[in-house]
Amino acid sequence: MGNFGLLDKEEENDVEVQWEDQQKINRFSRLNVLVDQLEEHYKKQKTEKEYLEDLAMEIELHDEDEPVMYRVGQGFMLLEVEDAQQRIEKQKEGIDNKVEELKTQIEETEKEMAKLKAALYNKFGKAINLEKD
Amino acid sequence: MADTADTNPRGIPKAPFVDDVEEYMKKSSGVEATLRKFAEAARQLIELNIAVYYDQINSKYKFMEANMTQRRQSLESKIPELEKTLETIQFLIDKKDDDKPIETMYELNDTLYAKAKLEKADKANVMLEYSLDEALELLQSKLNTANKGLENANEDISFLRDQITTMEVNTARIYNWDVRQRRAKKVSA
Repeated sequence: MGNFGLLDKEEENDVEVQWEDQQKINRFSRLNVLVDQLEEHYKKQKTEKEYLEDLAMEIELHDEDEPVMYRVGQGFMLLEVEDAQQRIEKQKEGIDNKVEELKTQIEETEKEMAKLKAALYNKFGKAINLEKD
Repeated sequence: MADTADTNPRGIPKAPFVDDVEEYMKKSSGVEATLRKFAEAARQLIELNIAVYYDQINSKYKFMEANMTQRRQSLESKIPELEKTLETIQFLIDKKDDDKPIETMYELNDTLYAKAKLEKADKANVMLEYSLDEALELLQSKLNTANKGLENANEDISFLRDQITTMEVNTARIYNWDVRQRRAKKVSA
């Protein structure tokens, strides 16, 4: 059941659960797990984005003629500042897209959950609990 | 969720959905007459059986879910490693036509880096020696396989979640049905 309760045992419930309702409940439960995962990814990518932004600022202050050790994969490569800057820009673009994409996904998931929630509460009232603890 | 197959693509069976609790309980008890005859005792036995049976099914689903979650975790840690290696290959490909040697610090051990100069890096060792393009292709295909595996694991986990939810709702409904039955009995007695 995850972290929310379905069909509270204490509550009397005379409304029959149809297959259609069951599918809605399943979908909601699924989305509930999904939205947590998305939030987690989102947080990680956002931190990464902040790191890259700091990095872009810091490298501005760096002596242009002094090459930097830039991390690529497992090792470091000696790079001209300009080359490193271009690479940071590219990485930033990639991560900006990812962050945006995750944000849209979270919003869409939440929208669908709100719809399902409304439908299920409408039918089952207090007999169902879809809130997070 | 329009498919009517009894299993998901990787053969995990679907949970039965109880359409009508009343009917289901009657069917489980054979005939209604039996239910009436043995009255309370018989019904309790049936309920107990159903509860145990549901519990067994559900713990199987939960076991599969735990396994699958582990599989997902191992893939999730493998993918960044592949991506890192790919990043390095891509870097070497970018620099292939540079005349200047690449100065690098490579990881000799966890906390130890050593300097190296790469005069002309057009080969990569991915356990065996490959040309850069071959290495890129190999790693790309490995990454695709890992991503596909992750996708399947996620699908399976979602599917299992559905079955677990269905079973839990079934159990709650049968329990509620029983509560109502008892209450009705009390009133009529």
